[in-house]
Amino acid sequence: MTMSPQLTTHGATQRIVLESGEPERKGRRRREKVKVARHLMDNRTAYLMIAPMVILLGIFVFWPLVYSFYLSTFEISFYTDPEFVGLQFYRYVLEDPKFWHAIWIGAQYAIYVVPIMLVIAFLIASFIRTVGIKLAGLLKTTVYIPTVVSAVVASIIFVFMYRSDGGIVNWLLSFVGLGPYAFLSNPDLALPAISVPGIWLAFGITTLIMLAGMYDIPESYYEAAQLEGANYFQRTFYITIPLMKNVLLYLLVTATIGALQQFELPLIMTGGGPTNATMTPNLFIFNTFKDPTPYATSFSLTAALILFFVLGTVSVLIFKLINSDKAIDG
Amino acid sequence: MREPLGRRIAKWVLATLIVVSTMLPLAWMIIAGFKGKNEVLRTPFQFFPDVWIWENYIQILGDAAFMQAMIITFIGAVLFTALSLTVNSFAAYAFARLDFRGKSLWWAYCITPMFVPGMAILLTSFVVVSNLGMLNTLAVLIIPGAASAAQMFFIRQFYLNTPVAIEEAALIDGASRWKIFWTIFLPQSQGPFVVVGVGSFLAFWNAYVWPILTIQDPQLQQIMQYLANFRSDRGNEWGLLMAGSALAALPTILLVLIFQRYIVNGVRLAGMK
Repeated sequence: MTMSPQLTTHGATQRIVLESGEPERKGRRRREKVKVARHLMDNRTAYLMIAPMVILLGIFVFWPLVYSFYLSTFEISFYTDPEFVGLQFYRYVLEDPKFWHAIWIGAQYAIYVVPIMLVIAFLIASFIRTVGIKLAGLLKTTVYIPTVVSAVVASIIFVFMYRSDGGIVNWLLSFVGLGPYAFLSNPDLALPAISVPGIWLAFGITTLIMLAGMYDIPESYYEAAQLEGANYFQRTFYITIPLMKNVLLYLLVTATIGALQQFELPLIMTGGGPTNATMTPNLFIFNTFKDPTPYATSFSLTAALILFFVLGTVSVLIFKLINSDKAIDG
Repeated sequence: MREPLGRRIAKWVLATLIVVSTMLPLAWMIIAGFKGKNEVLRTPFQFFPDVWIWENYIQILGDAAFMQAMIITFIGAVLFTALSLTVNSFAAYAFARLDFRGKSLWWAYCITPMFVPGMAILLTSFVVVSNLGMLNTLAVLIIPGAASAAQMFFIRQFYLNTPVAIEEAALIDGASRWKIFWTIFLPQSQGPFVVVGVGSFLAFWNAYVWPILTIQDPQLQQIMQYLANFRSDRGNEWGLLMAGSALAALPTILLVLIFQRYIVNGVRLAGMK
């Protein structure tokens, strides 16, 4: 999801969190040692060094967040003073069928994207693990390239690829006797069609994270299994998957949270249509922002906050689980 | 011991398949850029053009608005990267190596934004920046996103693992914390700085939603804004649009290729199984 650059890093965030397990604990231990060795505190220097970050986050994250909460409890109108309405908007949002429709679209999108992407990434990562170092390097760079392509460029490419005249997808389908389809104007096909660039943009980094997890599994496990005559599937299901339980769980959750928040692809490719078939939750919220009726502002803010409660809670729980000692022994 | 020939061939076939299917959309974009008006939408379909023409690429490079968008976005991305590296590495150093009052409280404060989805603060961020008079300035694109919890976290992990011995020796010699940061930590920070720096650059270059909310001035139009507008205004000039998209994606792909050593190998999971 790309909004302000701040918000864009959210996806990357999760990846970085992952890399933190061990050093975090080591660091803590070491820091305690430093504390004993050194007698002066560094209050002044430390405050100066964190000040820019603290101030920027205060103005551009915390203040807008508090302001969102404030606005979600007021009814704003151009003609009268804002009126305190408590949690009324939360009830409106939760009773609005359009909100639930958007949630349903988001869930469907996640169902299309997440399992396929995880399986593709797992298969490619398993393959890269078996090839030589040079080919592995080439493949790793190749699968990573789509990750850096912007959602706008991806949308433009795929809109072009999906055209019914001159589009490459329909041309490829014609070899198996299908089509032509007007993918983006057919309500049944539009959401699956949008999922393809969604997968294409995200599978590369997922592959690299899985691969990093696979490289951590000692080669001797596989050698022993091979001596015992275990085939690829047995090695995958009895060694790779159980030992990568945490990585897979982590990827599953972050990919799902990411998918539920997707909105640039539908925004550019279909604008939420046809007949709201690609109206994901964030696109619904974004469109309501721009609705000039008085309720709309508070309504969409409230919807955004409800999603924030749910997704934020899940992220925090997963972050805790992954970084807790309990998760490590698996 | 060499692998049997059949297996080696199978591996190369599979590898080629992965490369081709991953690169197909990008290759298709670049090739479509080489097609003339009457070829780009031709039926029956043809993958390669009969005549390869440079016209689309030359024409889009000659488009003043396109070049302006490329240049202004590039300048913004460089400034944004520099600012965010400064802000985040300072905080990272303080949290990794210094003890100070209220540290855990400030840590919680600085790390919380990782869990705030952008949509929850998008509209009110817009209200804040317009109250600050920042709309239609380069600053509105650069400053609000510069402080990043994720990037600070990443750099901090690296500083936590730097050995203490040199630092303590320098302290005994009477060096200040600032001097230690500049002379010991910064020179070693190449790896993590490349990873988060490239991340910042990409985030800025690829940004779309925040620019369309805050920038109306055509002089400051961002490259992704330009492309999306091009698509809705001149949507039938596909060859030109593909050429423009290819050129707009080029800097990001070049960055990955140049820094692949750091980025692709930078994904490591320490201690997680």
